[in-house]
Amino acid sequence: MIAFANGATQFFAPTHLLAVVALGLLVGQQARLPVIPLAALAAGLAAGSVVVASAIRDNPAAPALLVLAAIAAGLTIIARPLPSWAAAGLGLAIGVALPLNAPPQEFTVHAAIVAQLGFALAAILAFALVTRVATLARVPWQRIGVRIVASWIAASAILVLALRLAR
Amino acid sequence: MGVPRTQWAPLPLEGRGWGWGSFNGSPHDPHPGALCAPTLPASGRVRAPSFAAAAAMILLVSPAFAHTGEGTGGFLAGLSHPVFGPDHVVAMVAVGLWGAFLGAPAIWLLPIVFPLVMALGGVLGIVGAPLPAVETGIASSAIVLGLMVALAARPPLWVAVVLVGAFAIFHGYAHGKELPDGANAVAFSAGFVIATGLLHLTGIAFGLLARWPVGRLAVRGAGGMIALVGVAYLSGLA
Repeated sequence: MIAFANGATQFFAPTHLLAVVALGLLVGQQARLPVIPLAALAAGLAAGSVVVASAIRDNPAAPALLVLAAIAAGLTIIARPLPSWAAAGLGLAIGVALPLNAPPQEFTVHAAIVAQLGFALAAILAFALVTRVATLARVPWQRIGVRIVASWIAASAILVLALRLAR
Repeated sequence: MGVPRTQWAPLPLEGRGWGWGSFNGSPHDPHPGALCAPTLPASGRVRAPSFAAAAAMILLVSPAFAHTGEGTGGFLAGLSHPVFGPDHVVAMVAVGLWGAFLGAPAIWLLPIVFPLVMALGGVLGIVGAPLPAVETGIASSAIVLGLMVALAARPPLWVAVVLVGAFAIFHGYAHGKELPDGANAVAFSAGFVIATGLLHLTGIAFGLLARWPVGRLAVRGAGGMIALVGVAYLSGLA
Protein backbone atom coordinates (compact mmCIF):
# COMPACT_ATOMS: atom_id res chain seq x y z
CA MET A 1 0.00 0.00 0.00
CA ILE A 2 2.89 2.35 0.81
CA ALA A 3 4.50 1.49 -2.52
CA PHE A 4 1.22 2.27 -4.28
CA ALA A 5 0.97 5.64 -2.52
CA ASN A 6 4.62 6.38 -3.25
CA GLY A 7 4.05 5.67 -6.92
CA ALA A 8 0.92 7.84 -7.01
CA THR A 9 2.76 10.67 -5.24
CA GLN A 10 5.63 10.43 -7.68
CA PHE A 11 3.29 11.40 -10.49
CA PHE A 12 2.67 14.83 -9.00
CA ALA A 13 5.79 16.49 -10.37
CA PRO A 14 5.39 19.73 -12.34
CA THR A 15 6.77 18.27 -15.58
CA HIS A 16 4.26 15.41 -15.49
CA LEU A 17 1.40 17.73 -14.62
CA LEU A 18 2.23 20.10 -17.48
CA ALA A 19 2.07 17.26 -20.01
CA VAL A 20 -1.04 15.55 -18.66
CA VAL A 21 -2.99 18.78 -18.09
CA ALA A 22 -2.13 19.96 -21.62
CA LEU A 23 -3.30 16.64 -23.06
CA GLY A 24 -6.48 16.73 -20.98
CA LEU A 25 -7.29 20.27 -22.12
CA LEU A 26 -6.73 19.30 -25.75
CA VAL A 27 -8.91 16.20 -25.60
CA GLY A 28 -11.61 17.99 -23.59
CA GLN A 29 -11.63 20.92 -25.98
CA GLN A 30 -12.20 18.58 -28.92
CA ALA A 31 -15.40 17.51 -27.09
CA ARG A 32 -15.07 13.89 -28.04
CA LEU A 33 -15.38 10.84 -25.88
CA PRO A 34 -11.87 10.53 -24.49
CA VAL A 35 -11.85 6.74 -24.83
CA ILE A 36 -9.22 6.49 -27.56
CA PRO A 37 -6.77 9.02 -26.04
CA LEU A 38 -7.33 7.47 -22.62
CA ALA A 39 -6.61 4.00 -23.97
CA ALA A 40 -3.54 5.36 -25.75
CA LEU A 41 -2.32 7.00 -22.54
CA ALA A 42 -2.87 3.77 -20.59
CA ALA A 43 -1.10 1.73 -23.27
CA GLY A 44 1.79 4.20 -23.23
CA LEU A 45 2.02 4.04 -19.45
CA ALA A 46 2.16 0.24 -19.62
CA ALA A 47 4.81 0.33 -22.34
CA GLY A 48 6.83 2.94 -20.49
CA SER A 49 6.69 0.91 -17.29
CA VAL A 50 8.04 -2.11 -19.14
CA VAL A 51 10.82 -0.04 -20.69
CA VAL A 52 11.75 1.56 -17.37
CA ALA A 53 12.36 -1.91 -15.98
CA SER A 54 15.41 -2.08 -18.22
CA ALA A 55 16.80 0.73 -16.06
CA ILE A 56 17.78 3.16 -18.78
CA ARG A 57 19.36 5.97 -16.80
CA ASP A 58 19.98 9.01 -18.98
CA ASN A 59 16.91 9.05 -21.18
CA PRO A 60 15.45 12.23 -22.66
CA ALA A 61 12.04 11.73 -21.03
CA ALA A 62 11.92 15.13 -19.30
CA PRO A 63 12.60 17.26 -22.41
CA ALA A 64 10.31 14.96 -24.39
CA LEU A 65 7.51 15.59 -21.91
CA LEU A 66 8.07 19.34 -22.17
CA VAL A 67 7.99 19.21 -25.98
CA LEU A 68 4.81 17.12 -25.91
CA ALA A 69 3.24 19.52 -23.37
CA ALA A 70 4.09 22.48 -25.60
CA ILE A 71 2.64 20.71 -28.68
CA ALA A 72 -0.58 19.74 -26.88
CA ALA A 73 -0.94 23.23 -25.40
CA GLY A 74 -0.22 24.84 -28.77
CA LEU A 75 -2.92 22.74 -30.44
CA THR A 76 -5.31 23.76 -27.66
CA ILE A 77 -4.53 27.45 -28.21
CA ILE A 78 -5.16 27.10 -31.96
CA ALA A 79 -8.44 25.30 -31.17
CA ARG A 80 -8.93 23.65 -34.55
CA PRO A 81 -10.64 20.26 -35.01
CA LEU A 82 -8.09 17.47 -34.92
CA PRO A 83 -8.19 13.90 -36.24
CA SER A 84 -8.61 11.44 -33.40
CA TRP A 85 -5.25 9.83 -34.11
CA ALA A 86 -3.46 13.09 -33.25
CA ALA A 87 -4.65 13.19 -29.64
CA ALA A 88 -4.17 9.43 -29.38
CA GLY A 89 -0.60 9.72 -30.63
CA LEU A 90 0.14 12.45 -28.13
CA GLY A 91 -1.44 10.35 -25.37
CA LEU A 92 0.67 7.36 -26.29
CA ALA A 93 3.88 9.38 -26.40
CA ILE A 94 3.16 11.12 -23.08
CA GLY A 95 2.23 7.77 -21.56
CA VAL A 96 5.56 6.24 -22.56
CA ALA A 97 7.60 9.23 -21.39
CA LEU A 98 5.95 9.56 -17.96
CA PRO A 99 7.30 6.35 -16.33
CA LEU A 100 10.66 6.87 -18.00
CA ASN A 101 10.93 10.20 -16.19
CA ALA A 102 10.01 8.66 -12.84
CA PRO A 103 11.58 5.26 -12.24
CA PRO A 104 10.11 3.55 -9.16
CA GLN A 105 12.10 4.06 -5.96
CA GLU A 106 11.16 0.70 -4.44
CA PHE A 107 13.61 -2.06 -3.50
CA THR A 108 11.68 -5.16 -4.51
CA VAL A 109 10.23 -6.03 -7.90
CA HIS A 110 6.77 -6.54 -6.40
CA ALA A 111 6.82 -3.13 -4.71
CA ALA A 112 8.10 -1.50 -7.90
CA ILE A 113 5.22 -2.97 -9.90
CA VAL A 114 2.73 -1.78 -7.29
CA ALA A 115 4.33 1.68 -7.35
CA GLN A 116 4.03 1.80 -11.13
CA LEU A 117 0.36 0.89 -10.83
CA GLY A 118 -0.12 3.78 -8.41
CA PHE A 119 1.75 6.11 -10.75
CA ALA A 120 -0.34 5.03 -13.75
CA LEU A 121 -3.60 5.35 -11.85
CA ALA A 122 -2.70 8.87 -10.70
CA ALA A 123 -1.83 9.86 -14.27
CA ILE A 124 -5.05 8.42 -15.69
CA LEU A 125 -7.20 10.03 -12.99
CA ALA A 126 -5.54 13.42 -13.49
CA PHE A 127 -6.06 13.15 -17.25
CA ALA A 128 -9.70 12.11 -16.83
CA LEU A 129 -10.35 14.95 -14.39
CA VAL A 130 -8.83 17.65 -16.59
CA THR A 131 -10.56 16.26 -19.68
CA ARG A 132 -13.89 16.29 -17.88
CA VAL A 133 -13.43 19.89 -16.73
CA ALA A 134 -12.41 20.99 -20.24
CA THR A 135 -15.37 19.14 -21.74
CA LEU A 136 -17.72 21.08 -19.45
CA ALA A 137 -16.36 24.39 -20.78
CA ARG A 138 -19.17 25.25 -23.20
CA VAL A 139 -19.73 28.96 -22.63
CA PRO A 140 -17.42 31.14 -24.79
CA TRP A 141 -15.52 32.67 -21.86
CA GLN A 142 -14.93 29.20 -20.43
CA ARG A 143 -13.52 27.99 -23.74
CA ILE A 144 -11.30 31.09 -23.81
CA GLY A 145 -10.19 30.19 -20.28
CA VAL A 146 -9.10 26.77 -21.52
CA ARG A 147 -7.00 28.42 -24.23
CA ILE A 148 -5.48 30.89 -21.77
CA VAL A 149 -4.45 28.08 -19.39
CA ALA A 150 -3.00 26.25 -22.40
CA SER A 151 -0.95 29.35 -23.24
CA TRP A 152 0.46 29.32 -19.70
CA ILE A 153 1.42 25.66 -20.08
CA ALA A 154 3.04 26.26 -23.46
CA ALA A 155 4.99 29.24 -22.12
CA SER A 156 6.22 27.30 -19.08
CA ALA A 157 7.21 24.30 -21.19
CA ILE A 158 9.08 26.44 -23.74
CA LEU A 159 10.97 28.29 -21.00
CA VAL A 160 12.08 25.18 -19.14
CA LEU A 161 12.96 23.40 -22.35
CA ALA A 162 15.19 26.31 -23.33
CA LEU A 163 16.75 26.25 -19.88
CA ARG A 164 17.51 22.53 -20.14
CA LEU A 165 19.01 22.85 -23.61
CA ALA A 166 21.00 25.99 -22.84
CA ARG A 167 22.56 25.11 -19.45
CA MET B 1 13.63 16.87 42.86
CA GLY B 2 13.77 13.09 42.89
CA VAL B 3 13.93 12.99 39.12
CA PRO B 4 17.51 13.41 37.91
CA ARG B 5 18.05 16.08 35.26
CA THR B 6 19.10 14.85 31.91
CA GLN B 7 22.39 15.63 30.26
CA TRP B 8 21.60 17.23 26.88
CA ALA B 9 23.84 15.32 24.60
CA PRO B 10 23.42 12.84 21.75
CA LEU B 11 23.61 9.30 22.99
CA PRO B 12 25.95 6.76 21.41
CA LEU B 13 24.04 3.50 21.37
CA GLU B 14 25.91 0.25 21.47
CA GLY B 15 26.92 -0.36 17.92
CA ARG B 16 23.85 1.39 16.50
CA GLY B 17 24.94 4.96 16.06
CA TRP B 18 22.89 7.77 17.61
CA GLY B 19 19.51 7.26 19.23
CA TRP B 20 16.76 8.81 21.31
CA GLY B 21 17.33 9.19 25.00
CA SER B 22 14.43 9.25 27.42
CA PHE B 23 12.37 12.26 28.43
CA ASN B 24 13.01 12.91 32.10
CA GLY B 25 9.30 13.22 32.85
CA SER B 26 9.58 16.54 34.65
CA PRO B 27 7.02 19.25 33.78
CA HIS B 28 9.97 21.66 33.86
CA ASP B 29 11.81 19.83 31.14
CA PRO B 30 13.02 22.62 28.84
CA HIS B 31 13.00 20.49 25.71
CA PRO B 32 10.32 17.82 25.96
CA GLY B 33 10.72 15.30 23.21
CA ALA B 34 14.06 16.69 22.16
CA LEU B 35 16.94 14.47 21.17
CA CYS B 36 18.58 13.87 24.51
CA ALA B 37 20.29 11.31 26.60
CA PRO B 38 19.63 10.35 30.19
CA THR B 39 22.33 10.61 32.79
CA LEU B 40 24.93 8.05 31.91
CA PRO B 41 25.44 5.26 34.41
CA ALA B 42 28.81 4.58 35.94
CA SER B 43 29.65 2.15 33.18
CA GLY B 44 29.24 4.93 30.65
CA ARG B 45 27.16 2.72 28.35
CA VAL B 46 23.42 2.48 28.05
CA ARG B 47 21.49 -0.29 26.39
CA ALA B 48 18.62 1.43 24.63
CA PRO B 49 15.70 -0.57 23.32
CA SER B 50 15.98 -1.43 19.65
CA PHE B 51 12.70 0.32 18.81
CA ALA B 52 14.30 3.61 19.84
CA ALA B 53 16.96 3.19 17.21
CA ALA B 54 14.33 2.20 14.66
CA ALA B 55 12.21 5.22 15.55
CA ALA B 56 15.22 7.47 15.21
CA MET B 57 15.96 6.08 11.77
CA ILE B 58 12.36 6.58 10.66
CA LEU B 59 12.13 10.11 12.03
CA LEU B 60 15.53 11.34 11.01
CA VAL B 61 15.77 10.10 7.45
CA SER B 62 13.98 11.81 4.60
CA PRO B 63 12.23 9.88 1.84
CA ALA B 64 14.07 9.55 -1.47
CA PHE B 65 11.99 11.27 -4.14
CA ALA B 66 13.01 11.18 -7.77
CA HIS B 67 12.13 14.85 -8.24
CA THR B 68 13.68 16.68 -5.35
CA GLY B 69 13.07 20.39 -5.49
CA GLU B 70 10.12 20.24 -7.88
CA GLY B 71 7.74 21.02 -5.06
CA THR B 72 5.73 23.97 -3.99
CA GLY B 73 8.79 26.01 -2.99
CA GLY B 74 9.75 26.63 -6.59
CA PHE B 75 6.16 27.19 -7.57
CA LEU B 76 5.49 29.71 -4.81
CA ALA B 77 8.76 31.48 -5.51
CA GLY B 78 7.77 31.76 -9.17
CA LEU B 79 4.26 32.84 -8.26
CA SER B 80 5.57 35.67 -6.07
CA HIS B 81 8.38 36.64 -8.46
CA PRO B 82 6.47 39.08 -10.73
CA VAL B 83 4.54 40.52 -7.78
CA PHE B 84 7.72 41.97 -6.25
CA GLY B 85 8.55 43.97 -9.38
CA PRO B 86 6.09 46.89 -9.51
CA ASP B 87 7.18 47.78 -13.06
CA HIS B 88 6.25 44.25 -14.14
CA VAL B 89 3.00 44.32 -12.19
CA VAL B 90 1.66 47.55 -13.66
CA ALA B 91 2.56 46.49 -17.21
CA MET B 92 0.77 43.13 -16.77
CA VAL B 93 -2.30 44.85 -15.36
CA ALA B 94 -2.17 47.34 -18.24
CA VAL B 95 -2.30 44.49 -20.76
CA GLY B 96 -5.50 43.23 -19.14
CA LEU B 97 -6.97 46.72 -18.87
CA TRP B 98 -6.29 47.48 -22.50
CA GLY B 99 -7.67 44.11 -23.59
CA ALA B 100 -10.88 44.76 -21.66
CA PHE B 101 -11.04 48.27 -23.12
CA LEU B 102 -10.66 46.99 -26.68
CA GLY B 103 -13.19 44.19 -26.16
CA ALA B 104 -13.33 40.88 -28.01
CA PRO B 105 -11.17 39.40 -29.42
CA ALA B 106 -8.40 41.51 -27.86
CA ILE B 107 -9.70 40.76 -24.37
CA TRP B 108 -8.57 37.12 -24.71
CA LEU B 109 -6.03 37.40 -27.52
CA LEU B 110 -3.66 39.73 -25.66
CA PRO B 111 -3.45 37.54 -22.52
CA ILE B 112 -2.67 34.54 -24.77
CA VAL B 113 -0.11 36.33 -26.91
CA PHE B 114 1.73 37.87 -23.96
CA PRO B 115 2.88 34.67 -22.16
CA LEU B 116 3.79 32.96 -25.43
CA VAL B 117 5.95 35.84 -26.66
CA MET B 118 7.24 36.31 -23.11
CA ALA B 119 8.45 32.70 -23.25
CA LEU B 120 10.36 33.48 -26.44
CA GLY B 121 11.89 36.49 -24.70
CA GLY B 122 12.74 34.18 -21.82
CA VAL B 123 14.54 31.86 -24.23
CA LEU B 124 16.64 34.83 -25.37
CA GLY B 125 17.48 35.60 -21.76
CA ILE B 126 18.34 31.98 -20.98
CA VAL B 127 20.69 31.56 -23.93
CA GLY B 128 22.24 34.93 -23.14
CA ALA B 129 21.39 36.62 -26.43
CA PRO B 130 22.16 40.32 -26.22
CA LEU B 131 19.11 42.52 -25.85
CA PRO B 132 19.77 46.20 -25.20
CA ALA B 133 17.89 48.40 -22.74
CA VAL B 134 15.81 45.68 -21.12
CA GLU B 135 14.85 47.77 -18.09
CA THR B 136 14.07 50.72 -20.35
CA GLY B 137 11.84 48.44 -22.41
CA ILE B 138 9.99 47.23 -19.31
CA ALA B 139 9.45 50.79 -18.01
CA SER B 140 8.43 51.90 -21.51
CA SER B 141 5.86 49.11 -21.64
CA ALA B 142 4.14 50.55 -18.57
CA ILE B 143 4.23 54.05 -20.10
CA VAL B 144 2.95 53.07 -23.53
CA LEU B 145 0.32 50.57 -22.41
CA GLY B 146 -0.80 52.89 -19.62
CA LEU B 147 -1.17 55.75 -22.10
CA MET B 148 -3.12 53.51 -24.47
CA VAL B 149 -5.62 52.91 -21.68
CA ALA B 150 -5.60 56.51 -20.45
CA LEU B 151 -6.19 57.87 -23.96
CA ALA B 152 -8.72 55.12 -24.76
CA ALA B 153 -6.71 54.30 -27.88
CA ARG B 154 -8.34 51.82 -30.24
CA PRO B 155 -5.75 50.83 -32.84
CA PRO B 156 -6.31 47.84 -35.19
CA LEU B 157 -6.03 44.49 -33.45
CA TRP B 158 -2.76 43.56 -35.13
CA VAL B 159 -1.15 46.78 -33.87
CA ALA B 160 -2.21 45.98 -30.30
CA VAL B 161 -0.92 42.41 -30.64
CA VAL B 162 2.44 43.52 -32.07
CA LEU B 163 2.83 46.22 -29.40
CA VAL B 164 2.02 43.87 -26.51
CA GLY B 165 4.18 41.13 -28.04
CA ALA B 166 7.14 43.47 -28.45
CA PHE B 167 7.00 44.52 -24.80
CA ALA B 168 6.50 40.90 -23.71
CA ILE B 169 9.97 40.12 -25.09
CA PHE B 170 11.56 42.53 -22.58
CA HIS B 171 9.60 41.11 -19.65
CA GLY B 172 10.39 37.54 -20.72
CA TYR B 173 14.06 38.34 -21.18
CA ALA B 174 14.29 39.69 -17.62
CA HIS B 175 12.51 36.62 -16.24
CA GLY B 176 14.62 34.24 -18.33
CA LYS B 177 17.80 35.71 -16.91
CA GLU B 178 16.56 35.02 -13.38
CA LEU B 179 15.15 31.53 -14.02
CA PRO B 180 16.72 29.14 -11.48
CA ASP B 181 18.66 26.15 -12.70
CA GLY B 182 17.81 22.57 -11.86
CA ALA B 183 14.63 20.76 -11.05
CA ASN B 184 12.95 23.85 -9.57
CA ALA B 185 12.80 25.48 -12.98
CA VAL B 186 9.54 23.83 -14.05
CA ALA B 187 7.67 24.77 -10.89
CA PHE B 188 9.20 28.25 -10.84
CA SER B 189 8.38 29.03 -14.46
CA ALA B 190 4.85 27.65 -14.11
CA GLY B 191 4.42 29.83 -11.03
CA PHE B 192 5.53 33.04 -12.64
CA VAL B 193 3.64 32.41 -15.88
CA ILE B 194 0.48 31.80 -13.85
CA ALA B 195 1.15 34.93 -11.78
CA THR B 196 1.55 36.90 -15.00
CA GLY B 197 -1.76 35.51 -16.27
CA LEU B 198 -3.50 36.31 -13.01
CA LEU B 199 -2.26 39.90 -13.21
CA HIS B 200 -3.74 40.07 -16.71
CA LEU B 201 -7.02 38.75 -15.36
CA THR B 202 -6.91 41.37 -12.60
CA GLY B 203 -6.56 44.04 -15.27
CA ILE B 204 -9.38 42.52 -17.30
CA ALA B 205 -11.66 42.37 -14.25
CA PHE B 206 -10.98 46.02 -13.45
CA GLY B 207 -11.22 46.97 -17.12
CA LEU B 208 -14.74 45.55 -17.33
CA LEU B 209 -15.81 48.56 -15.27
CA ALA B 210 -15.39 50.55 -18.50
CA ARG B 211 -18.92 49.48 -19.45
CA TRP B 212 -20.20 52.24 -17.17
CA PRO B 213 -19.32 55.94 -17.59
CA VAL B 214 -17.88 56.31 -14.09
CA GLY B 215 -16.03 53.03 -14.45
CA ARG B 216 -14.63 54.21 -17.75
CA LEU B 217 -13.14 57.22 -15.99
CA ALA B 218 -11.70 54.97 -13.29
CA VAL B 219 -10.12 52.66 -15.87
CA ARG B 220 -8.61 55.56 -17.80
CA GLY B 221 -7.36 57.04 -14.56
CA ALA B 222 -5.73 53.71 -13.70
CA GLY B 223 -4.05 53.77 -17.11
CA GLY B 224 -2.67 57.22 -16.34
CA MET B 225 -1.35 55.99 -12.99
CA ILE B 226 0.34 53.05 -14.71
CA ALA B 227 2.00 55.40 -17.18
CA LEU B 228 3.25 57.55 -14.27
CA VAL B 229 4.74 54.50 -12.57
CA GLY B 230 6.51 53.73 -15.83
CA VAL B 231 7.85 57.29 -15.98
CA ALA B 232 9.09 56.97 -12.39
CA TYR B 233 11.00 53.80 -13.28
CA LEU B 234 12.36 55.25 -16.50
CA SER B 235 13.60 58.40 -14.79
CA GLY B 236 15.13 56.48 -11.91
CA LEU B 237 12.78 57.92 -9.28
CA ALA B 238 11.52 54.42 -8.38
